[in-house]
Amino acid sequence: MKSVLALATITFKEGIRNRSLFGIALLSLFLFGLNISVAGFFMRDIGKVTVDMNLSALTLAGLLLVFFVGINLIAKDIDRKTIHLVLSKPISRAQYICGKYLGIQFFVTISLLLLLLLSCLTVGLLFKLYPAYFIGFSWLIFFEACLFVLIKFWVLTAVVVFFSSVTTSSLITLIFSLGSYIAGVTIEEVVFYLKTELAAQEKIISESLRTFIDVVSYVLPNFSVFDFTLEAAHGLVVTSDRLLLSLGYAIVYIVIMLSAAAYIFSRREFH
Amino acid sequence: MTDITLSSVKKIYKPGLFKKNVQAVNDLSFAIRKGEVFGLIGPNGAGKSTTIRMILGLIRPDSGRILFRGKPFRESPILQEIGYLPENPYLYDHLTLLELLNFCGQSSSLDSKRIKMRGQELMLKLNLLEAQKRPLRTFSKGMLQRAGICFALLHDPSVVILDEPMSGLDPIGRKMVFDLVMELKDQGKTIFFCSHILNDVERLCDRIGLMHKGRLIKEFAREDFLPNTVNSVFLHTAKISQSQLDKVQVLGGTARNEGEGHLLAIPDEKYFQVNRYLEESGVDILGCRSEWLSLEDLFMQAVKEQNQ
Repeated sequence: MKSVLALATITFKEGIRNRSLFGIALLSLFLFGLNISVAGFFMRDIGKVTVDMNLSALTLAGLLLVFFVGINLIAKDIDRKTIHLVLSKPISRAQYICGKYLGIQFFVTISLLLLLLLSCLTVGLLFKLYPAYFIGFSWLIFFEACLFVLIKFWVLTAVVVFFSSVTTSSLITLIFSLGSYIAGVTIEEVVFYLKTELAAQEKIISESLRTFIDVVSYVLPNFSVFDFTLEAAHGLVVTSDRLLLSLGYAIVYIVIMLSAAAYIFSRREFH
Repeated sequence: MTDITLSSVKKIYKPGLFKKNVQAVNDLSFAIRKGEVFGLIGPNGAGKSTTIRMILGLIRPDSGRILFRGKPFRESPILQEIGYLPENPYLYDHLTLLELLNFCGQSSSLDSKRIKMRGQELMLKLNLLEAQKRPLRTFSKGMLQRAGICFALLHDPSVVILDEPMSGLDPIGRKMVFDLVMELKDQGKTIFFCSHILNDVERLCDRIGLMHKGRLIKEFAREDFLPNTVNSVFLHTAKISQSQLDKVQVLGGTARNEGEGHLLAIPDEKYFQVNRYLEESGVDILGCRSEWLSLEDLFMQAVKEQNQ
């Protein structure tokens, strides 16, 4: 456990000192600032637009953090053969995977929490300026939505770690992870569509394609289960069952991804 | 007692579809005894780094056995005993040396007091104390190499594996590393290292293995290239007859073939006698040499024989 924590600590430090972080923070600040400056254009929907924009800014920042910094924190180790040095210490391959995952997860969490602080200031400011248009707004639901944005990136980090254990270059890891993210965000809608009568009338959708999409929907991470933007924007209460189900799904998916990564990594050779 | 034993180890790299397999290591067998300095030399692509990676478990051999103190290699308990420096180590850019050494100590289960003590000791020896709080990305190539050595030695391993430890070092850095390796040797550590700098190998190693095309083609003991010729003068002469050679030997000299002629090793105290005899016999002296047989000579000779 000591080795895992030591590895997680250096991974976190390596990530948090990366200069790309300034760029991501600036972009987020710009989006929050934009939110304040354009909020007045939306009349009655100020509250909804504010919540929506803030959650979107957090999501965009999280994606940039995972794809531009997080991937490098593990894939660069393999690319640059730093892993030879690390694995020459009494650290097992499974410990390496766990340490790297925890380090990236910690890095993403701290960075997003800092951005959430700025996001709260934006929402708080607009809430104070236009209280009449924030009817139904609940900080609790907003924070729940933010928490699940964070959990979504924990799952995405596990996907990144999995692909890093399979591939030999950071670019391929990036392509696969990005593909999984895009498919994971949209797969639920595709599955729902295929169950409609409209889809049943489409001749182009064969039975084998339906089966294929059905299988893929179980394999790919379903990121839409972590999306509570609608609820946060409209102040709709999210039931604890749904929250627990989403949390459970995230934990199971992360465990499966990391176990598979550890298994593949333990069989891998480092030339 | 042997620390590391390799028997009939083979490794073939499969680069991918439509590409020819590469036999990186072929039927490699050798043993490194406890407390000795074993050097592995060979041309580029001979399989030296592959051998080291197999020893560390980064690559699995296709066949053969690798034993550590008589037991098969497994991960954790054995790696505690090993310190490894790769060729051109890539360290974490944004960490400081102090943080890197802390990680090394923690992963090797050292307590913080011991990590601090060993870290300071090594950084002092390798002249890195002033740079300990600087990010590693600001280090020069030589400094990174020395930082890698600190990383390899922090947990005080009993077996040290160094892959090209002198690479990228300036003469001062080389001297530091040389002294450190000599110190480790005096402490009874087992040292296994690969290097292209034959002069360093010659000076440091008790035994040397020469690898070529994945095979160990020759093993030299220190005595093979450093015979009892310490206080001798080496003369390069034109070809001399067998009777003249016998006479030189009677007078105390030693001879071996060197190109078209001979190389004579003459003890200092016998020099004038032998020189007078050579003059009287009309043997041409072509020049003087600084050593009897260099490792480079042995290396080139062995590689040439193998290629033929």
